[in-house]
Amino acid sequence: MPEGYFGQYATIGIFVFVGVALVFGTLQLARLVRPNVPSYEKSTTYESGIDPIGEGWSQSNVRYYIFALLFVVFDVEAVFLFPWAIVFERLGTQALVEMVIFIGILAIALLYAIKKKVLEWL
Amino acid sequence: MDLLAQGLQLGSSVDWHAVAPDVILTVTACVVLVADLFLADRSKWLAMPLSAAGIVVTLVAVVSLAGQRRTTLGGAYEIDSFALLLKGVFCIIGLMVLAISFNYFRTGVRFQGEYYFLMLCSLLGGLVMSSARDLITVFIAIELISVPGFVMTGLRKNDAKSNEAALKFFLFGVLSTAVMLYGMSLIYGVTGHTLLSGIRAALVVGRDLSPAARSAVGISVPGDPIIVLSVFFIIVGFAFKISAVPFHFWAPDTYEGAPSPVAAFLSTASKIGGFVGLLVLMFTAFPDVADVWRPVFAVLATATMTVGNLIALRQRHIIRLLAYSGIAQSGYILVTFALIDPASPAVNSQALESALVYISIYAVMDLGAFAAAIAFARRGGTYFIDDYAGLWQRSPVLATLLAGFMLSLAGAPPMAGAWAKLFVFLAAINAQVYWLAVVMGANAVIAAFYYLAIVRRMFLEPPEIEGPVEVPFLLRTAMGAAALALFVAFIYPPIITTLAGGSIF
Repeated sequence: MPEGYFGQYATIGIFVFVGVALVFGTLQLARLVRPNVPSYEKSTTYESGIDPIGEGWSQSNVRYYIFALLFVVFDVEAVFLFPWAIVFERLGTQALVEMVIFIGILAIALLYAIKKKVLEWL
Repeated sequence: MDLLAQGLQLGSSVDWHAVAPDVILTVTACVVLVADLFLADRSKWLAMPLSAAGIVVTLVAVVSLAGQRRTTLGGAYEIDSFALLLKGVFCIIGLMVLAISFNYFRTGVRFQGEYYFLMLCSLLGGLVMSSARDLITVFIAIELISVPGFVMTGLRKNDAKSNEAALKFFLFGVLSTAVMLYGMSLIYGVTGHTLLSGIRAALVVGRDLSPAARSAVGISVPGDPIIVLSVFFIIVGFAFKISAVPFHFWAPDTYEGAPSPVAAFLSTASKIGGFVGLLVLMFTAFPDVADVWRPVFAVLATATMTVGNLIALRQRHIIRLLAYSGIAQSGYILVTFALIDPASPAVNSQALESALVYISIYAVMDLGAFAAAIAFARRGGTYFIDDYAGLWQRSPVLATLLAGFMLSLAGAPPMAGAWAKLFVFLAAINAQVYWLAVVMGANAVIAAFYYLAIVRRMFLEPPEIEGPVEVPFLLRTAMGAAALALFVAFIYPPIITTLAGGSIF
C-alpha cells in the first residue's frame, strides 16, 4: 500500500485500473472462448417468447395507467395474502376477520373504480 | 420468541377502546367515499355532514378515554394525555376545516366526496401520529397525513396553478420522506429497535458503557457520527413537513395554488402533524442526544422566524402572506425544541408545555384567518390585500373578526395568541437561552408590522368597492367560534394551560 498523502491517490488509481481491467478483460476472455453462431432469431428483441411487433418506442393508451394502478393495489394485496395463508391455521378466526377487513377496504377502491366507469373500455 | 409468536400475541391483545377514535374515523372515511358514489350530483354535499358526524363521534371516543393511560400493539401505540390532547386538537381542526370547505366545494369544484374522504384520511394520520410510539408507526402516520394532501392540492384539475402546486408539494414531500426514512433506517441499524423507548434505552446503555465494552457489544454512543447523521436526517425530513427555513420553498406556492380550504388544512393539520412527530421523537427517543440536535433547532428556529417574517412583509396576496406568517409561526414553535436540557426536567416540561399551548392556539387562529380570507374571496372578491381597504365600512363584523385573528397571530392582546408567544418566551428565559428570547422578541415586532398593516387598511382607509361582503352561515359560525375561543382563552388561560400542563410525557 503506497504511503503519504498523494500515495493514497495511487491506491484509488490502482482500484480504478483494476476495475476497468476486470470488465474489459472478462469481456475479451468471453469473446475468445464462446462459439459465434448468429441468427435472425437471436438478434430480435426479447419479449418473453412472443414475436416482437413494431418499434421499441411505441405509444400505449393512457387508459392502461388506471389498470396498472389497480394491478399494483391487488398485487400488493397478494404479497400480504401469501404469508398470511401459510400461518393461517395457527392464527385462527381473528386472522380471518382481519384479512376480510383488509380486503374489504381494498374492495372499496375497486368499487370506486367501477362506479367511476374507469374499467369500461370506451 | 419467534416473530410469529410475537405477532400472535400482538394480534390477540389489541386494546379496542384505545384505538377506537382511529377506527371510527377510518370507518367514517370509507362510508363517506362509498356514500359519495351512490349520491346524485345534487345531493353530493351530504358527504360534509356525514364527515362532520364521524368526527364528532371520534371526538366523543377521545373524550371517553380522558385520564386513561393505555398501551397497545406491543408498545407501538399509546394513549396518554399528550396523545388525547392532540387527538382533540386534530378533531377540532377537522370540524373547522369542514365548515370552511363546505360552501367552497359545493359551488365550483368537482370531487366533493373525494375531497372529504381525503381530508378524513389525512386527519386520521394526525390521530395516529399523536399515539405513535414506534418509528414505523410514526412513518406511516406522517405519510398518511401527506399523501392525501398531494391529491387535495391538485383537486382543481383544470387549473394550471393547482397542478403546479400539487407537483411541487409532491416532489418536496417525496424527497423529505426519502431523507427521513434513511435516517430512521440508520437509527434502527444502530440501536436494533423501532420502538422509541427501546431506542432511548439502547442509546443510554451505549452512553454508560466503557469504550472497550461498547465496541465488544457493538453499541453506539449518542455522540457517534452515525447517530448524529441519522438524527439530523430525521430532523431535515420533518423540517420539510413543517416548512422550516431553509426547507420552506414549497409552502407559499402550494398554498396559493391549492384550493384555499386545502391550504388552511395544510397549514394547520399537516404542519401540526409534523410537529407532533418531532415532539414524540425528540422527547421520547432522543432526549439523551439533545447536545447534538439542540443547536440544530436553535439555528432552524432563528432562520425560520426571521426569514418567514421578513418575506411576509412584502406579500400582497393574503394566502401567500398567511403562508409566510405560518412559516414564521413554525419558527416560534421550533424555539421550544432548542430549550431541551437533559439534566433539567423542569425546563424540559416547560418547553413541551409551551409547545403544546402554542400548537393548540396556532391551529385555531390560523384557521380563523384562513376562514376570513376565504369569506372575503367568495363571489367576486379577491385575495389581494389592497382590496381589503375600508372593509370596516362594508362588513364591520368580518373586519372585526379578521382584525382579531391578525392581532392573535401577531401575539397582541386581547387574543390568546399573546399567551402562546409569552409562554414560549418565558420558557426560553427560564432555560437561560436569552439570545433566542431576544430573537423571538425582535421577530414579534417585525411580524406586528405586517399583521397590523392589514388591520389599518381595513379600518382607516376608505373603501374602493361598496357593498357588504356576503358570508355564508357555516363560515360565520367557524369564524365566530374561533374568535370566541381565542378571546375566552385570553381572559382565562388555565383552560388551555391545565390541559397542556397535564399532557406531558
